[in-house]
Amino acid sequence: MFTLHYRLERRAIGMTLGIIAAASIGGFVEIAPLFTIDQTVEAAPDMRVYTPLELAGRNIYMREGCYACHSQMIRTLRDEVERYGPYSLAVESKYDHPMLWGSKRTGPDIARLGGKYSDEWHVRHLLDPRDVVPVSIMPSYGWLMENDLRIDDLRDQLATQRAVGVPYTPDMIRHAADDAYAQANPDGSGVKDLTARYGEATTVRAFDGTPGRLTEMDSLVAYLQILGRLTDAASRDTLAKDLE
Amino acid sequence: MDLSHETLVWVAKTFGLIYLVILSIAVVAYACWPARQKEFRDASTAILNREDRPWR
Amino acid sequence: MDVISNLTMDERRRALLILLVMALVGLTFAAAGHGDPIAVHGALVLVLSLALAFPVMGHLYDPEPSIERFNAYYDDPSKVGVILTFVWAAFAMFVGDWVAWLMVEPTWTTGSAWSSFGRLRPVHTTGVIFGFGGNGLIATSFYVMQRTCRVRLPDQLSPWFVLIGYNLFCILAVTGYLLGITQSKEYAEPEWYADLWLVIVWVTYFVLYMRTLARREEPHIYVANWYYMAFILVVAMLHIVNNLAVPVSFLSAKSHSLFSGVQDALTEWWYGHNAVAFFLTAGFLGMMYYYLPIRAGRPIFSYRLSIISFWGITFMYMWVGSHHLHHTALPQWVQTLGMTFSLVLLVPSWGSAANALLTLNGAWHKVRDDATLRFMMIAAVFYGLTTFEGSFMAIRSVNALSHYTDWTVGHVHAGALGWVAMITFGALYASIPWLWKRERMYSPALVEVHFWLALSGTAVYVFALWNAGIIQGLMWRTYTENGNLAYTFLDSVVAMRPYYIARALGGLLYLLGALAGCLNLYLTIRFAAPATEAASRKPLRDGLDDAATQPAE
Ligand code: HEC
Ligand code: HEM
Repeated sequence: MFTLHYRLERRAIGMTLGIIAAASIGGFVEIAPLFTIDQTVEAAPDMRVYTPLELAGRNIYMREGCYACHSQMIRTLRDEVERYGPYSLAVESKYDHPMLWGSKRTGPDIARLGGKYSDEWHVRHLLDPRDVVPVSIMPSYGWLMENDLRIDDLRDQLATQRAVGVPYTPDMIRHAADDAYAQANPDGSGVKDLTARYGEATTVRAFDGTPGRLTEMDSLVAYLQILGRLTDAASRDTLAKDLE
Repeated sequence: MDLSHETLVWVAKTFGLIYLVILSIAVVAYACWPARQKEFRDASTAILNREDRPWR
Repeated sequence: MDVISNLTMDERRRALLILLVMALVGLTFAAAGHGDPIAVHGALVLVLSLALAFPVMGHLYDPEPSIERFNAYYDDPSKVGVILTFVWAAFAMFVGDWVAWLMVEPTWTTGSAWSSFGRLRPVHTTGVIFGFGGNGLIATSFYVMQRTCRVRLPDQLSPWFVLIGYNLFCILAVTGYLLGITQSKEYAEPEWYADLWLVIVWVTYFVLYMRTLARREEPHIYVANWYYMAFILVVAMLHIVNNLAVPVSFLSAKSHSLFSGVQDALTEWWYGHNAVAFFLTAGFLGMMYYYLPIRAGRPIFSYRLSIISFWGITFMYMWVGSHHLHHTALPQWVQTLGMTFSLVLLVPSWGSAANALLTLNGAWHKVRDDATLRFMMIAAVFYGLTTFEGSFMAIRSVNALSHYTDWTVGHVHAGALGWVAMITFGALYASIPWLWKRERMYSPALVEVHFWLALSGTAVYVFALWNAGIIQGLMWRTYTENGNLAYTFLDSVVAMRPYYIARALGGLLYLLGALAGCLNLYLTIRFAAPATEAASRKPLRDGLDDAATQPAE
């Protein structure tokens, strides 16, 4: 009886192993080379990281599910490049954990949105898209202006980003909350430290129009304004190469 | 790691293909093996059995 | 509370222990996660565990269940699973239709954050795929594994742990999105703690399946089980790899994915497409290979073909994920690989579809008369259609047009409405009378109504979005004579409106059908005539003619 039992079980286990082998090899063979791709990704020495305010804005972008209607990946097709700008390079989402390429364009691609509109436009648009674009079917996001931005966990957020490979320095991590506040307060005292840490090109503005208060709107607009501007590798690359 | 990107790509493009061909042959051989046809026939009719209770 | 007193005393004690531990964990998160949304989930776990713990406590010292139980299969978890499947169907399809209307009239929300489009959409996808589909798979797999192995489940506690634990995962997922807790990875949105919980549940599920197989009385493992096993195993692999992430802290709901950029994109779509393959295809093929032959009263057309298709699907699907990333920053050779395998994949896919339809040869009169069998037949047809369309869309030049458009959504729903949901409803209508020992469903006419609502809803939905997607894709790439883009993006938004209205109406038909199913389920449980002793012994009252026992090959 025991041996019979043993044989039967062996069959089930054999099938299990068969399934694992058949299924995992395909994934491994296809994906493994992608993890050594660093060796082939375009170099972009000027690539900078998200500031704490922008990172928080990115989290809001994920929380509100903007990725369900907007892509951030311009394909190597002529019409896309003419409509949206230089096609997206792998290096541009190097620090995106996770990537937000998206899979559906109910709204337009926004990979190169940064600088396209003013802050005021974005605030009005997010509060009520139909206020600026009457035929829009994008949702309104009134609460972004009402909610204060949560900054108590920004330090941990940056530390976690560092743990998964984004080169935040200990100094950046320590001052994450201060830097977030400084970026939306152009007249505040923290601006000098902020630009020292993240570079002169950092946009420092009262994004939502109220310098005294740090809202979720501040942070989302700061994020929208940096889209496509972490590096200018893409415009260099497209100039150099011909489209297919 | 001295596993370079090129090596991995090479493995993916050669070994991957060979693996698939061998696996396909093995599966077809298993499924068509004459000695197994009775077992398969029994299995496909056994579920139509009317009895709805465990055998022990 | 028969369900609880049917457990042995030992099982009741263990159930109570598990529930108390869970309540404690919930309490910890609720109390310590101050200011973080994770505290809400802690409280939710606390309340749900206590709500289950109290009745268990009340029956803790009930007498041991009778030894007679070993003469029957253990179907209580399947019954509850069937009810949950219908509940999730109604809920998630309702949200789906709401979301569809939001794309027509964006102001049809409450105005609060929880009801905005971006939060409701994942509630819909998770609700249908995991809530409706997952519960259907679990409920039927318990049923099928016992019948095909001819043994009772090895114990009575672990199936409950799997079923309830899995539903807790779904509830955490869905409430999480409403609260703003999400990883934002499509089809893998739940955060790290829900993911970890699912791993525990899933391992239990796998062990339960293996234990049942090991005790089986039939020497051969029937092919339906192969598919269910592949579903369980591969989903575990995919889930663990794709969700690797570092939590911000142990008291924070937020985590950051281990992967970034291209690597993340490929991992995500390797997961995403194989979720389609092993969750939405393999599992439901398992369902089909059991319920369709039985309902038709004929053995599967070719057992051999079912095995070949099984391995074909198991090893080829893994290669095709990159067809979601054509023309992106992903290296070209990976795109080509994905495309090639997507084309080859058509062979095993059509193998399965043909196998199902050929099984019906000689039983077409039953298909005509029996809506339940018709559900399964149409499911097989849509399975064939969708896989053909999928392979077509995986061709790079086609994908250049279809990607990012509503065509993809149309394709998904040809599969989801036409295949996944139809085969599930068919399997459920077949098993409900067997499970509750009823003569038949309370109202066969209502099944008929459901069938026609489902079929017309699918047709309207899919045709609307095919048109929408192709128009959208063409508008984006049309040039004027002097070489400028002919349309602005907004032009395409405006052009979509009639199709979005049609889609929302099609979705409404489908939802109404599902509600008719819920009603019928309720009526059957409450009022349908019990089956006679003889009838309860056989899976199908009518139609098991003698041809059934004649092998087809
Ligand atoms: C229901 C789908 C949907 C969701 C969800 C959505 N959008 Fe939009 N979005 C659109 C549509 C449609 C347009 C085009 C019409 C318009 O400009 O309002 C658009 C336009 C935009 C634009 C202008 C782009 C340009 O280049 O003109 C921005 C910026 C934008 N959305 C940001 C967001 C952000 C941020 C979120 C999340 C908080 C979001 N969207 C969520 C549908 C959506
Ligand atoms: C041979 C089998 C199949 C192939 C080759 C295939 C291929 C594809 C392709 C090319 C896309 C479009 C990707 C894009 O451009 O965005 C896609 C999307 C999708 N398919 Fe399939 N498909 C198959 C079967 C199915 C089935 C049976 C279902 C459902 C049960 C399904 C569900 C989905 C889902 C959920 C997506 C959406 C992904 C997104 O959000 O973009 N597929 N599939």
